[in-house]
Amino acid sequence: MSRPSKLTPLKTIGHPTARIDAVERVTGKATYTGDVHLPGMLYARVLRSPHAHARIRQIDASKALALAGVKFVLTHENCSVVWGAGSISGGRQYVDDIKKITRHKRYLFNNPVRFFGEPVAAVAATNRHLAEEAVRLINVDYEVLPFVLDQEAALRPESVKIWPEGNLSPTAKNEMEPEVYRRGNVEEGFRTADFVFEDRYTTTYVHNAQMEPRLCVAGWEGDKLTLYTPTQGTSNCRHDMARDLGIPDEKVRVICKYMGGGFGNKNQNQDADLIAAVLAKETGAPVKLELSRKEDFIGVHGRWPTTQYYKVGVSRDGVLQALQLRGYSGMGPYRKNTGGIGGIELYQCPNVESVTYPVYTNRAVSGNYRAPEFPQGFFGIESMMDDVAYKMKMDPVEFVLKNMTRKSDDEVPYTNYTLEECIRRGAEAFEWKKRWHPPGADPGPIKRGVGMAFMALRSPTGQSSAVIRLDSNGRYTVFVGVTDIGAGAKTTMALIAAEALGVPLSNIEIVWGDTDRCPYSVGESGSRTTDMTGYAVIEAAHDLKRQIAAKGLPKGDNVLIASASPNPTSEGKVRKAFGAHFVEVEVDTELGRVRVLKYLAVQDSGRILNPLTATSQVKGGATQGIGMALHEDLLYDRQTGQPLTTGYYGTRIMTHLDAPEIEVIFIESDDGYGPFGAKCIGEAGIVHAVAAVGNAVFNAIGRRMKDLPITRDKILGALV
Amino acid sequence: MKTFTNTNPNSLDQAVSLVQQARTNGQTASLVGGGSDLLALVKDFIVKPDVLVNLKTIKGLDQVVPEAGGVHIGGLITLDALGSHPVIRSQYTVLAEAAETVATPQIRNVGTLGGNVCQRPWCWYFRNGFPCLKNGGSMCYSVGGENQFHAIFGGGPSYIVHPSDTATALVALGAKFRVVGPSGERVVPGADFFVLPRQDSTRENILAPGELLSAVQLAPAPPGRRSTYNKVLDREAWTHAVVSAAVVLDMDREICRSASVVLGGVAPIPWRVPDAERLLAGQRITPALASKVGEAAVAGAQPLTKNAYKVPMTKALVRRTVLALATRA
Amino acid sequence: MSKRKHDISRRQFLEGSGAVLVAATAGPKLSAQLSSSIQPETGGATREVPSTAIRLVVNGTEHRLEVEDRWTLAEVLRDHLGLTGTKIGCNRGECGACTVLLDGKPVYSCSNLAVWADGREVRTVEGLAHGDQLDPLQRAFVEHDGPQCGFCTSGQLMSARGLLTRNPHPTAREVRAAMTGNICRCSNYNRYVEAVLAASSTRDAKTSDRGAGRSTAPGRRGAKASARAGGA
Ligand SMILES: Cc1cc2nc3c(=O)[nH]c(=O)nc-3n(C[C@H](O)[C@H](O)[C@H](O)COP(=O)(O)OP(=O)(O)OC[C@H]3O[C@@H](n4cnc5c(N)ncnc54)[C@H](O)[C@@H]3O)c2cc1C
Ligand code: SF4
Ligand code: FES
Ligand code: FES
Repeated sequence: MSRPSKLTPLKTIGHPTARIDAVERVTGKATYTGDVHLPGMLYARVLRSPHAHARIRQIDASKALALAGVKFVLTHENCSVVWGAGSISGGRQYVDDIKKITRHKRYLFNNPVRFFGEPVAAVAATNRHLAEEAVRLINVDYEVLPFVLDQEAALRPESVKIWPEGNLSPTAKNEMEPEVYRRGNVEEGFRTADFVFEDRYTTTYVHNAQMEPRLCVAGWEGDKLTLYTPTQGTSNCRHDMARDLGIPDEKVRVICKYMGGGFGNKNQNQDADLIAAVLAKETGAPVKLELSRKEDFIGVHGRWPTTQYYKVGVSRDGVLQALQLRGYSGMGPYRKNTGGIGGIELYQCPNVESVTYPVYTNRAVSGNYRAPEFPQGFFGIESMMDDVAYKMKMDPVEFVLKNMTRKSDDEVPYTNYTLEECIRRGAEAFEWKKRWHPPGADPGPIKRGVGMAFMALRSPTGQSSAVIRLDSNGRYTVFVGVTDIGAGAKTTMALIAAEALGVPLSNIEIVWGDTDRCPYSVGESGSRTTDMTGYAVIEAAHDLKRQIAAKGLPKGDNVLIASASPNPTSEGKVRKAFGAHFVEVEVDTELGRVRVLKYLAVQDSGRILNPLTATSQVKGGATQGIGMALHEDLLYDRQTGQPLTTGYYGTRIMTHLDAPEIEVIFIESDDGYGPFGAKCIGEAGIVHAVAAVGNAVFNAIGRRMKDLPITRDKILGALV
Repeated sequence: MKTFTNTNPNSLDQAVSLVQQARTNGQTASLVGGGSDLLALVKDFIVKPDVLVNLKTIKGLDQVVPEAGGVHIGGLITLDALGSHPVIRSQYTVLAEAAETVATPQIRNVGTLGGNVCQRPWCWYFRNGFPCLKNGGSMCYSVGGENQFHAIFGGGPSYIVHPSDTATALVALGAKFRVVGPSGERVVPGADFFVLPRQDSTRENILAPGELLSAVQLAPAPPGRRSTYNKVLDREAWTHAVVSAAVVLDMDREICRSASVVLGGVAPIPWRVPDAERLLAGQRITPALASKVGEAAVAGAQPLTKNAYKVPMTKALVRRTVLALATRA
Repeated sequence: MSKRKHDISRRQFLEGSGAVLVAATAGPKLSAQLSSSIQPETGGATREVPSTAIRLVVNGTEHRLEVEDRWTLAEVLRDHLGLTGTKIGCNRGECGACTVLLDGKPVYSCSNLAVWADGREVRTVEGLAHGDQLDPLQRAFVEHDGPQCGFCTSGQLMSARGLLTRNPHPTAREVRAAMTGNICRCSNYNRYVEAVLAASSTRDAKTSDRGAGRSTAPGRRGAKASARAGGA
């Protein structure tokens, strides 16, 4: 990593710093949810639908209940709890009102069941093996219904209607309309363009596959629920639990200390949390519900698969005139997220139209996965544009420099703009001009090729809270509602606090991951924690400094307590992080193998608070992107609607031997917003990685791979 | 997991009688080597044993012993030990290389040769519990479904590919399989050990319930022998072969006296290609000949709807493997 | 199946919860169904669950345990010896989070039954450090930012420890090959390799095995292991 910095150096921030909890993590002392063991705890298991779509005629749990040690069985017959975050009109997951009005409610147990793996019953028993056996003793009589797996096919009139209103999932206004964005007039644009290109790209359902499968432990003390669960947002999770159970927020305590990753798989509350809570209430004992790896793959959510149709108009000199997208996103039978397809916004163009259809299908539900709507959309549009550049006989980098975004929607200025610098610096460091050759020009049979893709990704400011307590021993205890998903939020908060307070890092202690002890935080999703909660920490530090100035340092048993709940804006400007990835691959045209030989990520995420962990974030994101480009898919059997490739083996997750060295260059800037000018980074590594790899494969073999993942069979298929 | 009783025999006879005993009691028994394959099937209720017969407690079954100029390899040797054994590495390189390509160090540290050869199919329909032929049902889902990784040779009515890397190498080395069962011991050549689905679609080899693979025997490696195993995987490690080639060349200086070419990942059994072997016998191996051998390797392939890519892949793999081996110093 | 009367706390819970009741009316079955409880009668069929007395030496401490034959080694370490540093990410040999050393060699503790480990030596992440003194690998993992979420870390450490004990100065390629059975979905692969190479250049790279035979702190629930083993 190299880091030429034009910024004024800071004392604590900006230096590679080991995580403050690294020792816990390397000694096995960090407690994850699965390590929680409460006295008298029962184990729960879920019976899941073996059909993609079926009506339940009857459930007979008598055999299960006859086993000694089986305490309770929940089904749709005795439980009608609605999981509010499980199906939301418009997929606006943080808007509470919409969760209440949504037309397509998701109960904990639904009838009919609408995807393979949907919960049908849950058992609580004295141990996990017994619960597993009991689940298998529940007899369910199903009336099997027709199903549809493909997002485009689902909109055809002959397809089965998964909901009475049809398969187009409603908007946030509960209307059965696609999501539309328009600027200028595309028809006019295409008429005046010198060349018009059209193409179709598809991406697959890619699972987050975080290392720790979803699980939880729920227990009641009187009317108060304590839930240990790996959630990326303790505050949101608490509120969701309270709403779904019909109890006040303060009657729920959510605890999440360490979490084995999530990448969006653990936002808010999950049905498992509710099932465990209800079982715990019914049995009067704490309940631990553990999902198997397969259940996690099919029972939570992954990235939505998409079908993208592009039409692009260009003038003779390679300037975009019109840009059109018609996209279909497969959401599964319940709506957990927007189903958006990002990417159009990457280009400057007078005439733009994007119409996306979030569609219900009988597949596993789609939801958040690291930059939910971007890697798939960026793959589509940046492949498309790479192809346009090729057909216009232009160097793809030149084409990008000509057409990339310079203002948000060509209109609103960014808080600062370093995209061009990212691309130019990257091209130079990568020796793009030297490495690039006309597509397919390498004689082979093992052919090299290079590709490039860029990004501009939202880096919002917003509301969060922090509390700092100073005692007479000079300990600063920072209370923040963050959880540490792996990005190092705890450490980042400590660094920010130390810097803002002007004290050594070792004087800071972080209290985190517990709604009874910490104030509201946005949650580790949408690359927002550093920006929003970090900003709150700075404000609280300022408050504390003012108090110290006024009252002096605390003595004896006294403490000073400062807090802040700021809601900063970027004052009408749009805040984005920028970056460009350059990759060289080698494609074996006879065996179909793709190897990444060289990978360079140039990233502007504002000021880099901790170069050590920030670099890890970019490396991790890019590597996941390579996996998405080359391997990952949850393949379904079309005869039965059942998934075939769950798990790490099935979906071919990258291993040590697959992962290339990812070189990272940070271009630092301070736009005056966010904590010390920091911008988002958690999602920034993955969004354009997929497109960069795809473009490199094209450059190597001269064939455009339009359908992910780019597996051996597709490469060999394209070359015959 | 379902309940079962683990038993620890201390001899082969005892192992065999434990299985028989279980069967007499109306119970099902499963043999266990390293358990790296079996345990997952038990967890998924695909195999439902009442009794596990843990072969690892039988002493002395994990050795490589010289025998009649060749070697006798105990069925309980771990893949790690097999892959790093000096005699295997130098004389039977293809087998050591095959063992080294299996899964991961952790699996090779417990996985046994017997278990590797006898592992159940990795067809995703079977592993996901579909009621197909291998799971006691009456149809094969792969034919009309997702068959990217299925057979292009020898398929029907099941289209699995044999998953074992070492089996492919063993057949290429002309190994004999020593089978112990209720009626004593027999020694079976590779050609007879593995069973095509059209002979019996419920199993992959001739082992009857109660029989086990106690050892394999390898004839002495003649001077001038070279052998190698090449495996195409879907990622760089930890998956079964998409296609693999085990090639053994017995060279007399520049001339190939005889050859053995066996393919993995293409058929329900390790797939021997006699036409390719005939082309090589008595010839100097040139790039042109290697190409012909590659062509011969795929002659008569019958791809399914989604696995035609295996044909050019196999062709190229065989060509490259033969050529690289012939020119290897 | 006889219906048991509902206990009061549950009724209060349901009545006090507007959303649940609203949901119930709109739901697939009416709220009346809420009290048709599927609940076990007292007793029920008891079954014999085969179990075996075994001896394990874990991180140098001997344990005698009564384990169900079906318990995996991972399960026994985590649930019955309180050694929760070993993680379970897939429970089927696909991820590596559960890697421990069995007689010095890395294995997946999820894919081995505890009964198969009878009489053998197990080393887990808890047995790497000696008191406050971290294993060189642990130090390197801290300095090189090995763990992101940390869930794969114990497994990565155990594979790396297995490697360095055998081969104290591996090449990068050898490190990758030795650790390829450990997925890191956070994909901090570069960091892990970097860290192992750094640890391998320290003087004590290989020596961390001296824990064997020494008594290390027993796990949280270690003391009660035998008592719990039969019933849990
Ligand atoms: C993620 C993953 C990836 C894998 N990748 C590969 C791969 O790339 N290549 C490959 O070849 N394998 C692979 N395997 C399969 C398998 O784990 C290994 O092949 C291993 O060598 C099996 O050996 P084992 O002793 O553990 O078998 P076990 O699980 O003990 O046994 C396997 C089967 O053979 C039977 N059996 C065991 N021993 C005998 C015997 N002596 N006689 C008769 N029957 C016996 C058992 O009853 C069982 O049905 C993979 C497994 C996993 C989980
Ligand atoms: S190929 Fe064999 S294992 Fe696979 S579905 Fe067909 S019968 Fe079953
Ligand atoms: S938990 Fe054992 S390999 Fe994944
Ligand atoms: S650090 Fe999260 S999986 Fe490796």
